[in-house]
Amino acid sequence: MAVSKRRIAGRRLGNVVFVAFCGVVTAVALTALALILYSLVTQGLGGFNLDLFTKSTPAAGTPGGLINAIVGSIMMSVMGMVIALTIGILAGTWLAEYAGESRFGAVVRFLNDVLLSAPSILIGLFVYEILVFPFKTFSGLAGSVALAMLAAPVITRTTEDVLKLQPIALRESGVALGSPVWHVIRNILWRGSASGILTGGLLAFARISGETAPLLFTALNNQFFSWDMTHPMASLPVVIFQDALTPYPDLNRLAWAGALLIAGTVLAVTLVARAFSKEPKR
Amino acid sequence: MTLLDTTHQAPDVSVAPIDTGSVKLDVQNLDFFYGKGHALKSVSIPFEANAVTALIGPSGCGKSTLLRTLNRMYALYPGQKATGKIMLDGEDILRPGVNLSMLRAKIGMVFQKPTPFPMSIFDNVAFGVRLYETLSKADMADRVEESLRRAALWDEVKDKLLTSGLGLSGGQQQRLCVARCIAVKPEILLLDEPTSALDPISSAKLEETVTQLKNDYTIIIVTHNLGQAARLSKYTGFMYLGELVEFGDTAGMFTKPVTTRASDYITGRFG
Repeated sequence: MAVSKRRIAGRRLGNVVFVAFCGVVTAVALTALALILYSLVTQGLGGFNLDLFTKSTPAAGTPGGLINAIVGSIMMSVMGMVIALTIGILAGTWLAEYAGESRFGAVVRFLNDVLLSAPSILIGLFVYEILVFPFKTFSGLAGSVALAMLAAPVITRTTEDVLKLQPIALRESGVALGSPVWHVIRNILWRGSASGILTGGLLAFARISGETAPLLFTALNNQFFSWDMTHPMASLPVVIFQDALTPYPDLNRLAWAGALLIAGTVLAVTLVARAFSKEPKR
Repeated sequence: MTLLDTTHQAPDVSVAPIDTGSVKLDVQNLDFFYGKGHALKSVSIPFEANAVTALIGPSGCGKSTLLRTLNRMYALYPGQKATGKIMLDGEDILRPGVNLSMLRAKIGMVFQKPTPFPMSIFDNVAFGVRLYETLSKADMADRVEESLRRAALWDEVKDKLLTSGLGLSGGQQQRLCVARCIAVKPEILLLDEPTSALDPISSAKLEETVTQLKNDYTIIIVTHNLGQAARLSKYTGFMYLGELVEFGDTAGMFTKPVTTRASDYITGRFG
């Protein structure tokens, strides 16, 4: 078969152009990321000192730290994730294993996708209506619920997706041993999908750890240290948001430090979880 | 070409009777439906106790479907339905109210592709046992060893029982699945094209395993490999388009098939 030299040259050229284009686009994306991280680290490190982890948010001009916001963020995120993981894993399992092609399943799947892309401020307002207004107080609990509502759809979706990746024969061979379906799901399918579900959880955690809007309407903020989730609670994103908007350089510095803290935490959690969820060698 | 001469009217269907006293599982007038699709048409076939029966036939003929009715695997899927009778030791397993878990504990199944569970080799084998029995640590270890030995896998894995079953080769994984099945002490083994995903050497090992087991279990094997059917089985059933066309002892079936369709398939004229 004779292929003309021109056609081969043309294909080569096309290949070179395409690969070069991919390279350039990747470089642009990476540069942006590097610049963000660079400014985050250079500006944020300046605010790092012992006070950051021992003192609560100060008024402008006085020394202070972020401990109230750090603790608030951890408590609300953890509680939000506990709620979201429970709901998300169970809902995702139902969608993958029991809903099948049923109409109800399709509706739930569609609504979950809608929630997945719902603006977070709407979720904040919704929780304000159901948990803040009736109880006449902003609270850490309301904040957790708002964060959970953001995280749950992500977890539901990934759980369903990774469960559906498990071969049908794996389910059947569990059942063929005489195991009830729920037992197969719990002991074989969840185990086989653990790293995928974990990834979903991490994505969700990364999403909620920087969320400000839903907390503004629910947990509000708190200048003082507090363990009490039934009252307003400080959180890193809200503190960053407020401090960054002030004209005071010391508060701005705190905001940068807080931002670096969030980014570092998400990175660290991701690395640790990855290390624990290494797929067994095949 | 007298062999292909059909003028002397070969029968359309031929099911040789076997001694009723030795029948373990007796399928009677079984029809099967995938929704509206009629996948099995009035199939009647006996399976002898402690012998291997092979099911052969072209793709889509209903061999695997027949296998999946025998442990009622199809019951997992709404819309799939079987009518007729399947007598296991004199009891109809198709009637409502049968305890499916207990039924499936009696009837083990190995699938086309190896399906090791995502856990250690030991736990893979112990998984089914733990569903029914509470064994002491030592007894469980014995049971696991015995099962792996019977599946001809013990020597290859005895030093790495606590490593993941996913780390084994395909052939080893398939024998692990056999070990997992026999660990629960079933009476019947259903093998659904167990070697189709394996290389020739692994296939030969698996066949050896089946040979070792064939005097103690009622084994039903679906295969596309006619040589395998001839090597392993005592009886063979040939299926075509949802019907059982011919059933009889393997030697007779492969040397002197009675029906034209079986003869055409076995001699390679189609399929």
